[in-house]
Amino acid sequence: MTPLEFFLAGTMSAATVFLLAALGELVAEKSGMLNLGVEGMMAISAAVGFVVTYQTGSHLIGFIVAGAAGIGISMIFAIVSITFLANQVATGLAVGILGLGLSALIGKNYESFTVTAPASIQIPVLSDIPLVGPVLFQQNIVVYLTIVMAILISFCLNKTRLGLAIRACGENPKAAESLSYSVFKIRYGAVAFGGLMAGFAGAYASTIYTPLWADGMIAGRGWIAVALVVFGTWKTGRIFLGAYLFGMVSLGELVVQSFGLAVPSQLLTAMPFIVTIVVLAIISSDRARLRLHAPYSLGETYDGSEPQ
Amino acid sequence: MQSYLKRFKKIVFTTLFAIGAFNTSVSADTLSIGVLLPSPIADVGWSNELVKGFNGIKEKYGDDVTLNIVENIQEGPDADRIMNKMVGDGNKFILLGSFGYMNSGLKLAQRNPDVSFIHASGYKVADNFSPFTAKYYEGSFLMGMAAADLTKTKKLGVVGAYAIPELISTINGFALGARSVDPEITVDIIWLNSWFDPAKAQASAKALIANGADILFSNSQDTPSVVTVGEEAGAYVFNLNGSMGEYAPTKYLGVVKTDWGPFFSASVDAHLNGSFVGRNEWLGVDADVVVTEEWNPDISAEMMAKIKAVEADITSGARHVYDGPLFNQDGEQVVAAGERLDDGGILGIDWHVQGINTPLPK
Repeated sequence: MTPLEFFLAGTMSAATVFLLAALGELVAEKSGMLNLGVEGMMAISAAVGFVVTYQTGSHLIGFIVAGAAGIGISMIFAIVSITFLANQVATGLAVGILGLGLSALIGKNYESFTVTAPASIQIPVLSDIPLVGPVLFQQNIVVYLTIVMAILISFCLNKTRLGLAIRACGENPKAAESLSYSVFKIRYGAVAFGGLMAGFAGAYASTIYTPLWADGMIAGRGWIAVALVVFGTWKTGRIFLGAYLFGMVSLGELVVQSFGLAVPSQLLTAMPFIVTIVVLAIISSDRARLRLHAPYSLGETYDGSEPQ
Repeated sequence: MQSYLKRFKKIVFTTLFAIGAFNTSVSADTLSIGVLLPSPIADVGWSNELVKGFNGIKEKYGDDVTLNIVENIQEGPDADRIMNKMVGDGNKFILLGSFGYMNSGLKLAQRNPDVSFIHASGYKVADNFSPFTAKYYEGSFLMGMAAADLTKTKKLGVVGAYAIPELISTINGFALGARSVDPEITVDIIWLNSWFDPAKAQASAKALIANGADILFSNSQDTPSVVTVGEEAGAYVFNLNGSMGEYAPTKYLGVVKTDWGPFFSASVDAHLNGSFVGRNEWLGVDADVVVTEEWNPDISAEMMAKIKAVEADITSGARHVYDGPLFNQDGEQVVAAGERLDDGGILGIDWHVQGINTPLPK
């Protein structure tokens, strides 16, 4: 594999971690639920996914259980903030910290254990094309499924009745309620979906991207996913772009270093953050449009269904 | 509602009291040792080696010694808070397990003259504060010779945590060892700027291999992240501190192991009989603290003999890794032939030797 192939192929697998989690958070936020616990949800799912994969030898089972764990912990957030109307920011942070702590506990006896990553797909002819083959046609199946997922979510949010209902809950829950949508159910569903996707992101991180368990291995990637949703102005396409951009620059850093170019490595380490923020800030610099895309009731609790 | 609140308050206060009571119950006859570690204790790695260093003391003193270990604490406010609490809880001997604990640890030592501190990887000294470091560069020099024997591309790769003197001197030693065998060899480094990010460490290892490296040096990763990549990609790989050979059954080049046992035991004994004096403890092959082993059978017998001869010379003091002539990356002579870089020069080293491609981050 040449450095260029490594760079481009690595970008796709690195971006997948961010994209999975950010897509889930997008759906939750579109329904008005600001869940800041993504880091914790990813950590706990990474631990659970790793333990299950290690014990069963099946990545599929690991993913399923990790997804379930993600839903499980997101339900704590949902119950507290939707049913009991607690502040979403505080609840999300608390659940995130809980998730980080639990992940350390669950993974305690598996510290530094490894599993084998599943083999990448091989397509006859296509995978053998120089450059294009290794980059586009030799990735793990999850990388492709995540891209399909991004398209499906974009379609669902913008073109379907369900998407309209989710967005209505995020814009004006009272109006959604008066159109006889159940804000309660839709928000629960959106948060659960966010948990599921964070779960997949965690499992991908601990069993495929870096197939080992170590406490703290998510290392801030959940927070980047949350940031990508905001900087991507709640648009699937931009979030996709942001995730790939971030993955690309963070791998570019390593390639540049290995070439021995005279750039300070501290600056290179900061580059992914700088570049992603600058690019996304530029493309979303139109404040009117930004306001148009930000869910109007994001982060607000809704108790309209209860008697006043 | 009122009574419920009252009951809740009572429970909270009782719990807090119970926790408080637990912590102050350090009796005077026993020695409590506080251990602060930067990463989780696993079956392998830095933290595990430090904890293992206390095994001899536990055997010797049995129940008279208690170890209070707090693991996985990032350098910064959290670490400051916890080391202060350790002293407050009555721990009289404290191990600080990371470079970045140095400044706040030193302040704490100055405020508490009755507590003895040993501090990993640092360089600041006080009467009751001893920094300790292993001369890893002696081991990495030998690994460099082995690497030179096995490399085909003549490119070696290093995944480094932070560009601090301890790591720089180790990587320099690796390059010097390799180039003592074959001066055409070059070394590439990727600095993670993090002590702990397994995903980034693996991506870095892959980047180095993509760039042609066929030998990897995992410099201070506490997880087998780089080692597993080496095995998968067919690049020989070695690491410091503790063996990770089980993660690379065929491609493990060897380990530069540290055995802290003798040093820790001596320090605790000195503390107990009141003779603890803070000084720079810098321990190498001759003190049996740095041990190279688990050599890969692919290394030629001829080279193994050379390695053993050099190791014997380093132990006896006949040879030193930083013997001149030494050149920096720009080809300028830093140490003349017949001279030797002094200890201060190595402990504070801020330049790379010739043959390392990557510029040093300033």
